[in-house]
Amino acid sequence: MSSITLKRSYSRSSILSQVHNLGLNYITCLLSSVSEPQSHHFSPSIQKQPKYGNGYHFLRESGTGFSSLFMKTLKISYGSHWVTFPTNYYVRQFSSHVAFEPSTSYGLTVDGIIANNWTMLDESESDWKSHASAIAQSIHLIKKRLQWKKLIVRLEILSAQLNKPDLWDDPVRAGKICREHGSLMGKMKEVKGFEQELLEHIDMIKLAREENDADLESESLKALLRMRRSTKEKELEALLAGEHDSSSCFIEVQAGAGGTESMDWASMVMQMYKLWAQHRGYGVTVVDEMSGDIAGIKRATIKVDGEYAFGYAKAEVGVHRLVRISPFDSGKRRHTSFAAVAVIPILGDVSSRVQISESDLRIERFRAGGAGGQHVNTTESAVRITHIPTGVTATCQNERSQHQNKASAMAVLQSRVDQLEMARQAQMNAQHTQSLTEISWGNQIRTYVLHPYRMVKDLRTNYEVSDPDSVLEGDLDGFILSFLSASLDKDEDYL
Amino acid sequence: MKLSFTRASLSSVLVPLIFNSNLVRPISCSSVSCSPASAKPQTPLFLRSPTFSATLSDLKKWQDWAKTLASSVGSSFLDSDNGPDATLLQREFNWLIEDALEHPKTIGITDNDKKNMVVTLRADLEDLYELWKQRIEERRPFQYIVGCEHWRDLVLSVQEGVLIPRPETELIVDLVGDVIKDNEGLREGLWADLGTGSGALAIGIGRILGSSGRVIATDLSPVAVAVASFNVQRYNLQDKIKIKQGSWFEPLKDVKGELMGLVSNPPYIPSEHISGLQAEVAKYEPRLALDGGSNGVGSLLHLCNGAVSMLKPGGFFAFETNGENQCKFLVDYMETETEGCFRDAKIISDFAGIQRFVTGFRAQ
Repeated sequence: MSSITLKRSYSRSSILSQVHNLGLNYITCLLSSVSEPQSHHFSPSIQKQPKYGNGYHFLRESGTGFSSLFMKTLKISYGSHWVTFPTNYYVRQFSSHVAFEPSTSYGLTVDGIIANNWTMLDESESDWKSHASAIAQSIHLIKKRLQWKKLIVRLEILSAQLNKPDLWDDPVRAGKICREHGSLMGKMKEVKGFEQELLEHIDMIKLAREENDADLESESLKALLRMRRSTKEKELEALLAGEHDSSSCFIEVQAGAGGTESMDWASMVMQMYKLWAQHRGYGVTVVDEMSGDIAGIKRATIKVDGEYAFGYAKAEVGVHRLVRISPFDSGKRRHTSFAAVAVIPILGDVSSRVQISESDLRIERFRAGGAGGQHVNTTESAVRITHIPTGVTATCQNERSQHQNKASAMAVLQSRVDQLEMARQAQMNAQHTQSLTEISWGNQIRTYVLHPYRMVKDLRTNYEVSDPDSVLEGDLDGFILSFLSASLDKDEDYL
Repeated sequence: MKLSFTRASLSSVLVPLIFNSNLVRPISCSSVSCSPASAKPQTPLFLRSPTFSATLSDLKKWQDWAKTLASSVGSSFLDSDNGPDATLLQREFNWLIEDALEHPKTIGITDNDKKNMVVTLRADLEDLYELWKQRIEERRPFQYIVGCEHWRDLVLSVQEGVLIPRPETELIVDLVGDVIKDNEGLREGLWADLGTGSGALAIGIGRILGSSGRVIATDLSPVAVAVASFNVQRYNLQDKIKIKQGSWFEPLKDVKGELMGLVSNPPYIPSEHISGLQAEVAKYEPRLALDGGSNGVGSLLHLCNGAVSMLKPGGFFAFETNGENQCKFLVDYMETETEGCFRDAKIISDFAGIQRFVTGFRAQ
């Protein structure tokens, strides 16, 4: 729930900032079209029917949604003058029926910019075409990652459902529809806002050139650069548009065959994820850990708490292979070991979780021995919970009371059963990540070579780095982002 | 009566075991309803104020030393008397860090330039060395080292002289939760926890009873009474739970026949088994709370007989036992010796599959 609220408030704030930008640009435009800066008061009638600047025909597109008016007194610096005047923020609500294609006064559209294939120079080159081209490219990728066409279709379906009079007969379902509609609307508005902002900036530059206004031109160029950076960030965020991507998750690592060497490798992999998660500012808790007899771990589960933990970590599912001279081999021979990684989302939306009934559970003391009770003083109070209908089990041993171990194990069990159910429903669609038992040892995703040369290479994307130490210290974002981009680009083109 | 005499004499011998007064700063007695006996509860490590400090590098030295000491144990304790192995001791050490450091995460900082950083502690570093040595070399129970035990969702203060509540016993609260769920009489009635020790069962039950539900908890040991009162106070349940000093039903004479519920984890280990127990239990925990006499069922029978007159008709009872034999013996006793007094006597297993509890109701 909290993640949903966060997302919603986030998208709202970004819309407001866009509105702010729109307002500013509109004002700048009006100012530049009058010959000299002056105090200017809009009459109420003008507020209702704003004077359309050249190329600002999009303002007429108030759509079928509602439009609102924000009144605010704004003091802006223009040249050497301070001008105070009430501003009207004309907010266009984008309905789900988007039929128009925004363009500049010269008829240039975002797609047109991409088609122009302008050379993209570095950020530091103050070249508006490069900036515009980079922004258009980012917008294009964001749309692609949002599965734009599908999103529009989905929005239409949701709007139709929202308009049905019997919607609230099933409040749970209605709530779900409202949330999804709101979230998709937010995403759509954001992208549309980017497109308009880009075109406005371009118009502004052209206008500035026509008017020989160097100040305005440099202002607009700066605005374009700011936008180039922010859309690049958005582009990365848009990688995580999956249904459960914003969830926290469990990461599980299991050692492959090969005894101590592979158990040591499994613990190195687990350490890599702990460090990665810490660097990202996520909360990390060890839920379950089975140590190896001499070194390393046989198996371990950590809980990673934070926004988009699942979205990123899901890129790590599969088998990780290590090649090195084993410190556990007195003959100093080269060994190859494997560790399997599974990632399970922790569903935030309670209504989408599988209902587990108490009578379907078998709870056992883990590693119980002897007479128990008053005979034994132990701080070991782990339990193993089995969900009898599915055979799914979970254990937790790192809490300090049996009650808490049981609660943590239950949380893991719930997520595993949810994952199983998702798999059943989705029939292995993109949302589904495999569980440890499903991961075949042939499913290698990445190789870490420490000897005879040093390299980490992702077998899915061919992304590679020559410094394994940094990767093992948790520097995984390069691998994760390249995989996420590649897997989205592999999907059919949604634009 | 013979029973209570033995218990009293035992307690006076066994209560003051290891008591490092440097490490323990007793909390002020005025804030807790202390028993007439002058037993003072100790403040658990995690509740002490962080008035000590050490540099990060000194702390890490302690950590390295402690981990080496823990791993040197291997499985030797496990093999000799089913004690903790190295893995478990490592985990306990992490919990010691959790309790002893004001900001436990600081010990994970690896930056070399931060090694002179000052870390605030709840005990002197020298005492922390001493505590861990006691844990490994003398096998002092971890819960006495840190002065607390995590039990259910509670953190209970414990100290020498008070039995460390066991994970198995947590289940009694669940059993009570099940019977009060749709029985208002039980939910809003008067309960008793006899031989309460740290107060674990009384607090666990006090927190799930309805707004009129009350608990009286008794213990013969003044230390237990002091510690239980401290714990009750810490969970702000003093209006709901009364701690009384005395043997079993003695302090309950004025509520005869009024109890809606009765729970107890009485001493049930047969005397001849005491010497063979794991070191942590045999050397440190109060014999008063463990030794159940020659066959271990003395206290259980006393409770059973007392329940006949103390419980209201329809009242519920749950007793913890040593296992299958005692459970069967007790159920058999109820069906023959106290025939007709109880109904629905049931044996319930713990999570290890050992028949652990006997529950039932006072017949109408």
